[in-house]
Amino acid sequence: MHALIIDDSRTMRSILKRIVHEIGFETTEAANGQEALDVLEAGLVPDLCLIDWNMPLMDGYTFVTRVRADERWRSMTLMMVTTESEHGQIVRALAAGAHEYVIKPFTADAIVEKLELLGLAVREVPA
Amino acid sequence: MIAIDEPTISDVHAVVEEVWTSFLGSDEPIQIGASTETTSLVDRLMLDDDTWTAAITVTGAWEAMILISVPVPAAGLITVGMLGLDPAEAETCGLEDLTDALGELVNIVGGGVKSLMPGPSALSLPLVAQGAITSTSNLEEVCAVDLTWHGHPIRVSIDVPRTTHGIGG
Repeated sequence: MHALIIDDSRTMRSILKRIVHEIGFETTEAANGQEALDVLEAGLVPDLCLIDWNMPLMDGYTFVTRVRADERWRSMTLMMVTTESEHGQIVRALAAGAHEYVIKPFTADAIVEKLELLGLAVREVPA
Repeated sequence: MIAIDEPTISDVHAVVEEVWTSFLGSDEPIQIGASTETTSLVDRLMLDDDTWTAAITVTGAWEAMILISVPVPAAGLITVGMLGLDPAEAETCGLEDLTDALGELVNIVGGGVKSLMPGPSALSLPLVAQGAITSTSNLEEVCAVDLTWHGHPIRVSIDVPRTTHGIGG
């Protein structure tokens, strides 16, 4: 499994990277939506994109709309991970094609739980 | 004009506590109130270069600037904690790491505070500087929370335009 982590904060990319590495993902990072689109155009088709909303050059919402408009990237699961918590924005992102929406701050468990629901993670049950 | 009730100290503390617990762990909780020992340092926070300040602006139905001020050692601890490094690895952190970590911290705290207020509104990208970030003269502080973490004073404050709150404001 491969995750593309899109956030203008290196710190946040590092936090998300640690969480998904723990459940077996390889990762690629992008600092904004445009950089992420460039990664996709270069041929990477990740299973999962974790996407911030507010970023310079291209925001996460625009990235979602661009990805959803392109058949090549239909298979990718898109999860917004953002501080934007207004109901209208959540609805807008989901309507544009995001599969899930996580509001910062989050716990690692919250991210893994969402990925489990999306069929992208299986948590080991203690014996 | 409709008067907006600004966030209370308790609101802001709850937001900060949740952010700290999520990203910096619960071993060393961030506590409300500056100790007597640190009060003078809190006063100095606004003035000297031994402090880092991160700020973010909210625009829309509610307008404000949210600021977090921390002394240099706390800024280092925040950076190491958010990056998931061992404290012994602190020396590997550079200035970019520190400004990025503080910027993300104020972004998340700002988002939390914004969620308590009337919308719709939008967050700016964060701004981080050594020393104080001085807001324009038409802003005034409506809430300031003095906190202590690892023995260091941390201040979270909210400035709003003078016309958006208060009787006859």
